[in-house]
Amino acid sequence: MPKENSRVAEYWELLRANRIAVVGLGLLVFFALLAIVAPFIVPFDPDELVGAPFQRPSSVHLLGTNDVGQDIFSELLVGARVSLLIGLLAAMVSIGVGCVVGLVAGYFGGRIDSALMRLVDMVLVIPFLPLMILLAAYLGPSFWNLILVIGLLTWAQPARIIRSQVLSIKTRGFVEAGRAIGTPVAVILRQHVLPGVIPLALSQFVIAASQSILIEASLSFLGLGDPVTKSWGTILFYAQARGAFLTDAWLWWVVPPGLLITLVVAGFAFSGLALEEVADPKLRSR
Amino acid sequence: MLGRLLGGRMLQYVMLIVVILVLNFMLPRAMPGTPLAFLAGEDVGLMTTEQREEVMAQHGLDRPLPHQFARYMGNLLQGDFGYSFQQRRPITDILMERLPWTLLLAGANLVLTTIIGVLVGAVAAWRRGGRADAGLLATFVFMAAMPSFWIGMILVAVFAAQLGWFPVYGAYSTYAGLTGWERIVDIGRHLVLPLTSLVFISVSSVFFTMRYSMLSVLREDYISMARAKGVPERLVKYRHAMRNALLPVLTIFMLNLGFIFSGAVVIETVFAYPGIGRLLFQAVLTRDYPVLQATFLLITMTVIIANIVADLLYPLFDPRVRVR
Repeated sequence: MPKENSRVAEYWELLRANRIAVVGLGLLVFFALLAIVAPFIVPFDPDELVGAPFQRPSSVHLLGTNDVGQDIFSELLVGARVSLLIGLLAAMVSIGVGCVVGLVAGYFGGRIDSALMRLVDMVLVIPFLPLMILLAAYLGPSFWNLILVIGLLTWAQPARIIRSQVLSIKTRGFVEAGRAIGTPVAVILRQHVLPGVIPLALSQFVIAASQSILIEASLSFLGLGDPVTKSWGTILFYAQARGAFLTDAWLWWVVPPGLLITLVVAGFAFSGLALEEVADPKLRSR
Repeated sequence: MLGRLLGGRMLQYVMLIVVILVLNFMLPRAMPGTPLAFLAGEDVGLMTTEQREEVMAQHGLDRPLPHQFARYMGNLLQGDFGYSFQQRRPITDILMERLPWTLLLAGANLVLTTIIGVLVGAVAAWRRGGRADAGLLATFVFMAAMPSFWIGMILVAVFAAQLGWFPVYGAYSTYAGLTGWERIVDIGRHLVLPLTSLVFISVSSVFFTMRYSMLSVLREDYISMARAKGVPERLVKYRHAMRNALLPVLTIFMLNLGFIFSGAVVIETVFAYPGIGRLLFQAVLTRDYPVLQATFLLITMTVIIANIVADLLYPLFDPRVRVR
């Protein structure tokens, strides 16, 4: 498929020329590598009590120890896995639902469309953090509950965006032509509509991942995170509970996890912005 | 036409309210085990079967679900949100105590966020593609990427714990017995850090909306027309472009009411600020389910009302909607 290839090449050129994209993708590659190698390079098992509690940074414990004597630096490295994994999986749920709803609503139109869009409007109005807190409190904190709760409450915005893209693709000649000669709906959707939606869905996915990581951090900070696997938000929960920000410990116990969250979220957000620009030529500056 | 349009929207809000109410009603009852632990805070494990049934009857939990729902709705309509078994007093009293503080914090934030976001967003749009625009864009993406509670913790560490400029937590000095002007200053000093963190995290949504809306307005024909007519650039910016670009900001302003309440949950927790958000957090910690539900209901209803008001106001500001 030479046409497809040239399109990919064009996207790639646009991405490379875009400084925001370079920064964003650079950050993402860095964190992905970190998450992969983390278990092999941690100096200590982050769950083991390896020293006296509340130690200052030293050559042994680069970022000191926490309130029970676990190595904070090791906690941070392994935490990258948890935060990234929850963010990506929740974004998959969110975009998966968003894509299906957007495609169905946009392609079939009519009653199905207006019913689905009503639903989208309703989900958009609900303040999601309080609802997530309510659900997390009832369902109990666990890895999969977090992912489902985040994913199932953030699909509405992507659904709306993908629907409008489908609507614009539908009016183009080849879809109409396909329908006129009786091509099956599944084939039209797969061959003509989906390729036009994928770049947009990808940018929405990246944006959803950045939001999911932030939401996971907030929920974990409120004590509603997965108690078994420690994410960056969980580390900050303990730092807050033990009053670390009232002592010097804020420098090595509070600053690093928050900085990592910010960088990862910004990495996703920058990449998303850049991809959005690639997917939607109207946004291109030149 | 407008009537029908609004009618459809209103129906949607009514449906949403029903969904929220049913969700609130069903959650404790759909959980495994008896709903007693969720609704009455009773230690079910220590009770005999007869005791359990007696308490169930007391709370009307032995009746069929429709009866229970009618009772639940009846209570709500009378402004009775139930009873907190942790604090041992009516939830309505607790909410009334907390509401002013959240309104102060969220209200001040809403005003500041809108002013800052609109002005900076407009500036960025005028300089589209330039250095200033790129710099502002990157800055605001980073600001939006920061966890709100983390900003709060850093501000406390630097400005309260290290420098001692502001109090560490709370909304006022509890035992100082301050009155009049001194009390206002005291409350203001307590407000600075939580408000700063809240503005920090919520200003970017206004900025992005304003920038985007300004960009699309600047591309409109009437802007080129005004320029061609020789209208001074300042006037084009302020009278022609900015006024029209403000419309989406109004929508985001109303929507922000909801996100600000939820943003305030985390911020109020960091600063132990005695508002609705911290109440929600405390209810989670102590598993005080009736309070959890009431707080959620209050926050959601506020958001829905904000949306309804936005829909009603919209035609007043945008004549195009009115004509249609």
